[in-house]
Amino acid sequence: MQDIFSNLALGLQTAMTWTNILWVVIGGSLGTIIGMLPGLGPATGVAVLIPITFGMNPATALITMCAVYYGAMFGGSRASIMINVPGDASAIVSCFDGYQMTKQGRAGPALAISAIASFIGGMIGMVFLVFLTQPIAAAALKFGPAEMFSLLLFALVATITLSEGNLLKGLIAIAFGLMLSTIGIDGMTGIIRFTYGVESLNDGIDFLVIIIGVYAVTEVYKNFKDTNAVYKLDSKSIGKVWISREDWRRSWKPMLRNSPLGFIIGVLPGMGGSIATFMSYALEKNLSKRPEEFGKGAIEGLAAPEASNNACSCGAMVPLLTLGIPGSGTTAVMLGALMMLGVKPGPTLFTDHPEIAWGVIASMLIGNIILIIINLPLAIPLVQILRVPTRIMLPIIMGLALIGTFFLNYSSFDFIIVMIAGIIGYMFSKLEIPLPPLVLALILGGAFEQNLRNSMVLSDGNISIFFQKPISVVFLVLAAGTLVYALLRRKKHAA
Amino acid sequence: MKKLSTLVLLIALVGVVSTVTAAPSWKPTKTIEIIAPANPGGGWDMLARVVQKSLMDEKLVEKNIIVVNKPGGGGSVGWTYLKGKKGQGEFLAATSTLIMLNQLLGTSELTYKDFSPIAMLQAEWIAVAVAADSPYKDIKGLMEALKANPASIPVGVGPSLGNNDHLVFLQLAKAYGIDPSKVKFIVYPGAGGEIVPALLGGHIKATVIGLAEVLEQHKAGKMRVLGTSADKELDFLPGVKPFVEQGTDLVFPHWRGLIAAPGLSPEQIAYWDDVFAKMVQTKTWKEQIANLGWSNFYQNSATHTKYLADQTKVFDELLTSVGLKK
Repeated sequence: MQDIFSNLALGLQTAMTWTNILWVVIGGSLGTIIGMLPGLGPATGVAVLIPITFGMNPATALITMCAVYYGAMFGGSRASIMINVPGDASAIVSCFDGYQMTKQGRAGPALAISAIASFIGGMIGMVFLVFLTQPIAAAALKFGPAEMFSLLLFALVATITLSEGNLLKGLIAIAFGLMLSTIGIDGMTGIIRFTYGVESLNDGIDFLVIIIGVYAVTEVYKNFKDTNAVYKLDSKSIGKVWISREDWRRSWKPMLRNSPLGFIIGVLPGMGGSIATFMSYALEKNLSKRPEEFGKGAIEGLAAPEASNNACSCGAMVPLLTLGIPGSGTTAVMLGALMMLGVKPGPTLFTDHPEIAWGVIASMLIGNIILIIINLPLAIPLVQILRVPTRIMLPIIMGLALIGTFFLNYSSFDFIIVMIAGIIGYMFSKLEIPLPPLVLALILGGAFEQNLRNSMVLSDGNISIFFQKPISVVFLVLAAGTLVYALLRRKKHAA
Repeated sequence: MKKLSTLVLLIALVGVVSTVTAAPSWKPTKTIEIIAPANPGGGWDMLARVVQKSLMDEKLVEKNIIVVNKPGGGGSVGWTYLKGKKGQGEFLAATSTLIMLNQLLGTSELTYKDFSPIAMLQAEWIAVAVAADSPYKDIKGLMEALKANPASIPVGVGPSLGNNDHLVFLQLAKAYGIDPSKVKFIVYPGAGGEIVPALLGGHIKATVIGLAEVLEQHKAGKMRVLGTSADKELDFLPGVKPFVEQGTDLVFPHWRGLIAAPGLSPEQIAYWDDVFAKMVQTKTWKEQIANLGWSNFYQNSATHTKYLADQTKVFDELLTSVGLKK
């Protein structure tokens, strides 16, 4: 315990130089802006920084990259809340209730709770990182293919229960998403699947392109029937950029509950913010006494995933700091940058370079404080966006969507995919088939399939492997329980 | 007399020096573009950036250099772009064995013959590793256990079958008389990021992987590297014998290099041969690759072209034997 505090003091000493604080401010602001733009996520933001970090000492470089990472987490949900266009995969859930709040004239509280929840999630994540890094890293090693498969199954089932109306439509969306995820080269056999000879499809369909399509482009299509409408909001109805006592009363427990959940999911290899936010949302909806308000502007439906998402990005640092392996796409880029600076992250990072490991942890503390200072006032000019007439806003959204698409893979073929995805999204919304299960299934489909097949190779095709591992059994029971619970509640509603 | 001979010698020397430093007949006339056919942060990207830094800091070229990322298709997207720059010497792209494997695995039509190979620059070695508490102490021990009961030792490999790491293990297995199709390969699309925790967590019993990804684990005593694909015992890994010293004739560099657009003139190739022969001797280059745990592995254009031709044959046979060739 004594050690932890003296190490943290060392970390603060590293982080609290003027140079480092300046870089946290620059990185945090840059990350916030990058996070707001559709398609541009933290991985891109960190990658853009690599050439700049060349001249830095390793601690400053890592601190700057972390600031971009957290900044993007803060900024990612801004566009979700304001215009129903998620900045990246982990901001999709923020659309559910965030955009509804904006429509009800509560954009101010929505932006405020998003920043506050991000802050709380980040701080709880940091505390976990300080005190529980080693045991959690050890626990994460227990997740083999069978455990991963069951966890993913649970996540997908939980998403179906989110869909309003009937379960069948949720299932249709999941099935469609899983089908899309099989397009491209299969890593286990080298067989090219469902590309119909189109070489650009060999790498599969980038889920971010689909997200931009079914959210941003669909939003534009939907609004085209009424291009003269103005979001009729005066500054009073936007609401103060702060939350009421009632809002706080409803949100604090979800924020506290979901931060640890997000953190743990972040530690697991291959799991990221998208699954953390979906699971948090499902958890809160199922725990809530007012589940019918979810999706109609319930503030806890925004607070929970926001806290979870930021805690998840702290969790993703655990494998990097303890094992020297990337826990997410963003930390993979960080790892590469660190190696170029001559730091070899590995199990000995905490002992060989305590100033780096602890400096990063301390910078999270500073970074979170700075980011909330940047983000709360930023909400005031941001809500002015709502005054822009739709006929001007729609082309801007379309333009940003296409720019974001191109920057993902520098591929013009993605333009075709994004437009088709927009049409599919439009059809789905007309048929009232929910989009979130489609997107989540597409994101997780590859890992879902891979873990199933790896489990089958390990057990020589024996399906009992999923029932022999305790962790796997827990998730399977949870999945079954969630489904039964959703069915029972629906029956009660119908009665 | 003595004076005269000194003079003759001097003239001769000047002559030799001047032919060496004589300005090549071709020089880049615009900004040089190095294409990293992958996202930032990966091996190709890092190679492109290290080359950029070395050439610019050491002032080996007179023009500016930019790095352009064109990810996708296991390199094919960036290389296709390069193919369109016929005859323009200012365009280079990072490559590796994928320039041969893609075509053999049926994922792309492109081969090294579509380009002008410029140089092989660096190599990493491939390691076979087990967890620290594993009973296997060397390659022989692991392979004999695998031969006796292939199902008992799942081997982690990533990001997909048919890559360098996988090929190394197949060659080892063959050398020990193991039927490669019997080995239980567990494929991790996240490569090292998923394989390292899987091995530490005991979900797989062995892995074949880039040495850099397990080196720090080995040093920290969490894993044991049983052997490497290097040609000799490595200075930074004392006590671990390469495969060649453990009875298997297998040296396999996981190399990266540069190719240029098709149809380059001999003068253009001579220019780059000269530049890269100098670059690999510079302090900047040596420092940078040491940071990344890479070994210097230089081949000039002519040697590299021949190497590519020979290796393509080897890979072809190997992939055919396990049924992965398309």
